[in-house]
Amino acid sequence: MTALTQTNPAGQLNRYPPGDLAIWIFILAELAVFAIFFATYAFTRMNNVELFNQFQQHLDRDAALINTLALITSSYFVVRAVAAIREGASQICVRWLLAALGMGVLFLAVKSAEYGHHFSAGINLSTNSFYMFYLSLTFFHFMHVIMGMVILAAVALKARRGGYSIEDHTGVETGASYWHMVDLVWLILFPLVYVMH
Amino acid sequence: MVALTLVTYSIGRLGLSGLDIALGVLLLALIKGHLIGAYFMGLNRVQGFWRWPVTIWLLLPGLLITIAFVLAEG
Repeated sequence: MTALTQTNPAGQLNRYPPGDLAIWIFILAELAVFAIFFATYAFTRMNNVELFNQFQQHLDRDAALINTLALITSSYFVVRAVAAIREGASQICVRWLLAALGMGVLFLAVKSAEYGHHFSAGINLSTNSFYMFYLSLTFFHFMHVIMGMVILAAVALKARRGGYSIEDHTGVETGASYWHMVDLVWLILFPLVYVMH
Repeated sequence: MVALTLVTYSIGRLGLSGLDIALGVLLLALIKGHLIGAYFMGLNRVQGFWRWPVTIWLLLPGLLITIAFVLAEG
């Protein structure tokens, strides 16, 4: 699908969101799946309130805080990368993307440590309903973080080779939009699974 | 967004619970989500159909989660 977004002069609104329109259709499909997941979690909890509240207390909120801050920060770095390429600064764009990837690595490391802790305690998908949702929801999101990092790495590689310019940087905006979606989903997942009871 | 995240974390850390608290935490999350959509994704510079999907996405699960938590309380 061809790019439909052009950067308009200040003050003018665009007809389409930044990036390739195909990624937005993909993003909406992904968001719909996560919405179903969230609603299913909430309605399953409705019939198991005590169980969900009890085991939610066992989760590591410090790790979740670090991960939330990591994703918000990485999203900000990606915004800076897009701003840089819109000014034609490819190498600055690459640096911001690498910084965002660094935050992604931090997220994966912290989440992996959390999983390691759970698995060493004998917790798995069949432990109870809460852990079934917690593990499947967070792992599904974990896979999206990896996917987002692969996309950002590919964009950074192309930017490093001078593959984007002021006139043609749809690829950077496309990767950025996907990464923001990953952040967006976590911003709902974090309070729902770790805090709300 | 960082400040709102720290508020959410503090509520969890303090073990505050109850329907009002839970829905307040959810509201903070929806506000953060709106900020991501509007300013990071750049949808505040878009007109027409494509301006709204993220907002609608936030409201839909937000509403369903609210209903589930209210029913769980009752």
